[in-house]
Amino acid sequence: MAKIEKETIAQSLKNAGYSRRDFLQLCTTIVATAPMGLALTEKATPAAVAKAVAKAKKPSVVWLHFQDCTGCSETLLRTSKPDVADLILNIISLDYHETLMVACGKQAEDALNSAVTENVGKFVLVVEGSIPTKEQGIYMKLGGRPALDVLKDVGSKAAAIIAIGSCASWGGVPSADPNPTGAVGVDSIIKDKAIVNIPGCPPNPYTLLGVVLEYAVMGKLPALDDLKRPKFAFDRLIHDHCPRRAHFDAGRFAGQFGDAGHREGYCLFKLGCKGPVTHAGCSTRHFNEMVDAWPIGIGAPCFGCTEKAVGFRIPAFDKVDVHLATPPDTYAPISGSVGKFGAAAAGLVGLAAGALGGATWAASQKLKSSEETIAEQKTPAGGK
Amino acid sequence: MTRWERSVPVYGVPVITRGFWVLCALIAVGLVLTVVREVVGLGGSVSGMSDPFAWGLWKTFNVMVLTGLGSGGFAVGIAAWVFNNKKLHSVMRVALLTSFLAYSTGLAMLGVDVGRPWNFYWVAWLPTWNLHSPLLEIAVCMSLYASVPLFLENLPPLFEYLIYEHPKWRGFALGCEKAMRSVYPFIVGLAYILPIMHQSSLGALMILGGNRVNTLWQTPFLPLIYVWAAAFLGYNCVVLCLLLAKLAWKRDLDPSVLLELNKLTVWIVYSWTAFRFLDILFRGKILHVFTDGYLSILFWVETALILGSAYVLSTEKGKKISTMFLAHAVCALGGMIYRFSPTTLAFHAKDGATYFPSAIEFIVSISFVGIAVLAYLVAVKKLAILPGSNEEWLKMAKYEEQVKPGIQLTGYAPVEH
Amino acid sequence: MAMTRREAFKTLAKGSLPLLAAGCVSTILPEVAHAEEEKIEAPKGALGLLYDATRCVGCKSCMVACSQANDLKPDTTTDGLHQAPPALNYHTKNIIKLYRTADGSDHSYFKQQCMQCIDPGCMNACMFGGLRKDPETGVVWWKGSKCVGCRYCEIACSFHIPAFQWDGFNPKIVKCELCRDPIQKGLRKQPGCTEVCPTQAVIYGRREDLLKEAKSRIAASPGKYFEQRVYGEHDAGGTQVLYLSRVSFDKIGLPNVGEDSIPSGLKYSHMLYKWLALPVALYAGMVAFAGKNFKEHSHHLVEDQKKTGLRPQL
Repeated sequence: MAKIEKETIAQSLKNAGYSRRDFLQLCTTIVATAPMGLALTEKATPAAVAKAVAKAKKPSVVWLHFQDCTGCSETLLRTSKPDVADLILNIISLDYHETLMVACGKQAEDALNSAVTENVGKFVLVVEGSIPTKEQGIYMKLGGRPALDVLKDVGSKAAAIIAIGSCASWGGVPSADPNPTGAVGVDSIIKDKAIVNIPGCPPNPYTLLGVVLEYAVMGKLPALDDLKRPKFAFDRLIHDHCPRRAHFDAGRFAGQFGDAGHREGYCLFKLGCKGPVTHAGCSTRHFNEMVDAWPIGIGAPCFGCTEKAVGFRIPAFDKVDVHLATPPDTYAPISGSVGKFGAAAAGLVGLAAGALGGATWAASQKLKSSEETIAEQKTPAGGK
Repeated sequence: MTRWERSVPVYGVPVITRGFWVLCALIAVGLVLTVVREVVGLGGSVSGMSDPFAWGLWKTFNVMVLTGLGSGGFAVGIAAWVFNNKKLHSVMRVALLTSFLAYSTGLAMLGVDVGRPWNFYWVAWLPTWNLHSPLLEIAVCMSLYASVPLFLENLPPLFEYLIYEHPKWRGFALGCEKAMRSVYPFIVGLAYILPIMHQSSLGALMILGGNRVNTLWQTPFLPLIYVWAAAFLGYNCVVLCLLLAKLAWKRDLDPSVLLELNKLTVWIVYSWTAFRFLDILFRGKILHVFTDGYLSILFWVETALILGSAYVLSTEKGKKISTMFLAHAVCALGGMIYRFSPTTLAFHAKDGATYFPSAIEFIVSISFVGIAVLAYLVAVKKLAILPGSNEEWLKMAKYEEQVKPGIQLTGYAPVEH
Repeated sequence: MAMTRREAFKTLAKGSLPLLAAGCVSTILPEVAHAEEEKIEAPKGALGLLYDATRCVGCKSCMVACSQANDLKPDTTTDGLHQAPPALNYHTKNIIKLYRTADGSDHSYFKQQCMQCIDPGCMNACMFGGLRKDPETGVVWWKGSKCVGCRYCEIACSFHIPAFQWDGFNPKIVKCELCRDPIQKGLRKQPGCTEVCPTQAVIYGRREDLLKEAKSRIAASPGKYFEQRVYGEHDAGGTQVLYLSRVSFDKIGLPNVGEDSIPSGLKYSHMLYKWLALPVALYAGMVAFAGKNFKEHSHHLVEDQKKTGLRPQL
């Protein structure tokens, strides 16, 4: 296959017919996507970002599919205006992508080999889908080779690995109980390479864009948390930025799908929303560039797709604990009522008091029967 | 009617009776619930206490009220030993026993009530003492009182018991008696000054309640009024025990002693009531006796119960035993209510806060009282506590000599001291 | 036969009159003379808070920050979901309460936490020094190793602050200590509440500076603040936590305690116990009397024994 000269991103976009305006719009979106945590956008204006991005060389990307549904690729493609998919595909040099490329069969295998060998140590490997490990990984094979071996082979030659989607990050749907294939995420197999996990089912495409651009322009990966997720996208809970948070704080909940509360758009906590325990940016960055195009926005409780301990683990309608409770919009009164008056206790005290009173009276009456007015009695002789 | 000359044990009556078993059952339930309290804590499932009413029943009733009732030891004691009222010597042992039992069960109750009883050992380390705290004074004084002078004062009947019934211990007991005789006034002085101090400190406790204690009770003289109330409560308790002895075991009564006890009770109550009224008057709060709603009613209830019964005691009617019994019971009730008011009944802890003991709290409280009652019943049957005449002693000796052959209860010549 | 007056006086003179006289003179007279001067002052470096209820918007960030700064689990017992304690308790050192008239026409927020009194009732009450006042900052803090859990501090506090851990073993007493622990450890420079307050309704600093600030606010807006005064300047003998409010203080939960400190009610009791002179004098007197009577009584006991042959009873 002919070697494609690595052009700069500016050249690539120009060739693809993008105006400077479209490009600036993209850069603005990137800045909005990642206001914090990304060196590229830190304290930068869209114009400055555009300048930096324009000069960068298109990074080479190899995109492997394993046990996946292709949803992560689809989420990238199903963007609307501006055509981010197109943009992304012109910003990166997508040297291998099974869904998007024309080649198949032997040609596809050759494409992979050449993409890898020509860019050894320089390409970014994007992995979509989980890797089966049971029985030497026979449950998914690429060109006759188990996914396990393909990953180890290609991964060892990559500069960095981006595990896109929950499947590649920690196993996703295939890893749900009983996990018959032994599906795991990339970082369970590869231990000696820089890995960025972008969990989600699917994740937001702008997160991928931010990571890729950071790498292309600044030459490094963004700041990651202890689960290797980029902090700029995963440092907050859905609950923290949820548009329905005011309803949660006020105690207004949907009780059942379709009831009055649900139709009013109240909080979905009681329907099993996993927002309080799920780290993701969906609350503020919706999908397909459409407002409210995300689960909670359409009235479906979040099921925690990014979190290994939550998504496909905790049943969809089970309520979760809120770990960092915050005050509601109600207030404690200046003087509330304290102290209870138990019926059993009252009964016991009354009984005891009555019994004691009765016994005292009975005793005095009994003493009466042997009545002796002591002043009348003569005291025995010899009183002191 | 007889003349009380010495203390005579209750004889011919079994220790294990139906009442004994009832009390044992009550105490067992109380101890089980105490263990529950230790494990679970003092929260809502165990007690009715809350942050505003942090002192529920145990501190305020078992300690503050019942040690008032158990003040016979010093109240009767001072009259007997300091003011040389010879008539009262014969009833001293009853007074001392009731005091000791009230104090020891009260202190045990305190151990159950506090949250970290193991830290109480600091009471023995003087540098940690916060001398400003009335509670410290009570902790030190009460513990010292119950464990030293009051305890020692209660030992003589035990020594006698050893001398008569356990020949192996006779020498030891005789030696102890001799030692006690040589220091008795010093023990006794301590046994009077310490309770005066801590019974008044019990009153000082609620001074820190400030204006949350209703003005009819809150006064800088609260300590004095508290210890003065303890005095008449002590007399009430002693007389009630003596009259109940007649009822339960047909003990003969000594009219002159009873009249003397009545006279002193009346005198203490009259002076107490007068002082209380004068205090309210001089603080300028006399109108509150009418204007404070249910608290004014409480005030009058206390006054009526206490003053009314004292008045009855001072009349001819008060010389009838049944009336005397009721009068002392009612007076004790009034006095106990008085001691309970500043901490609970007349204490407006916080707006909206109320307190009522939980069932567990109440049961544990009365079970600890049950311990005292049980111990009292066993003691008066085994030891020479209740007063009687020399004739009574001889009757008892005759009975005992039949039941326990070889025991010598009479015919002792004086030994050279 | 009771003692004659002559006998009484004799014994008194012998035993205790000199002592009693000396005791009274040495203790009571100077105490009466000095009683007025006893007022305790705040330490020089006294730290505190100034809460201006007119600036508070009831956001309750201070409650969240307090829980986090003090490693306290939020109290969600009201509904299992929200941090909504009804009052201060052993999970909650700081709370925002709302005063509202029945018709809703007037309202004010109230931030409640320990007042850090200059002469605290709680500290005075505590037997073994479980509650103590930092000599430099004046912060009143709880020392668990000296606490018996008697809860006298709760009774002694007119502001209803110390909270007891009612459930469980080895209970604590919990109250605001102006984040003394994390500040001392260098984890923070100021309490959590003052750090996060978005309107600076509650601020932290030296008491004298806060008092100056409060007074300048009163002077700058005449008629705005209730009674044109700072609550805590003199109340309860002075507190290190100061309040400014438009609504009357007792409506928002600050009690009318007067200018005497809570422990000042005990001053007469303290007079009587000074150096234990009076108790010792009384003791000496009683021993003297009792000793004399005991001697007489023992004599009678021996006489009785000779007559009856029955062992004397002490």
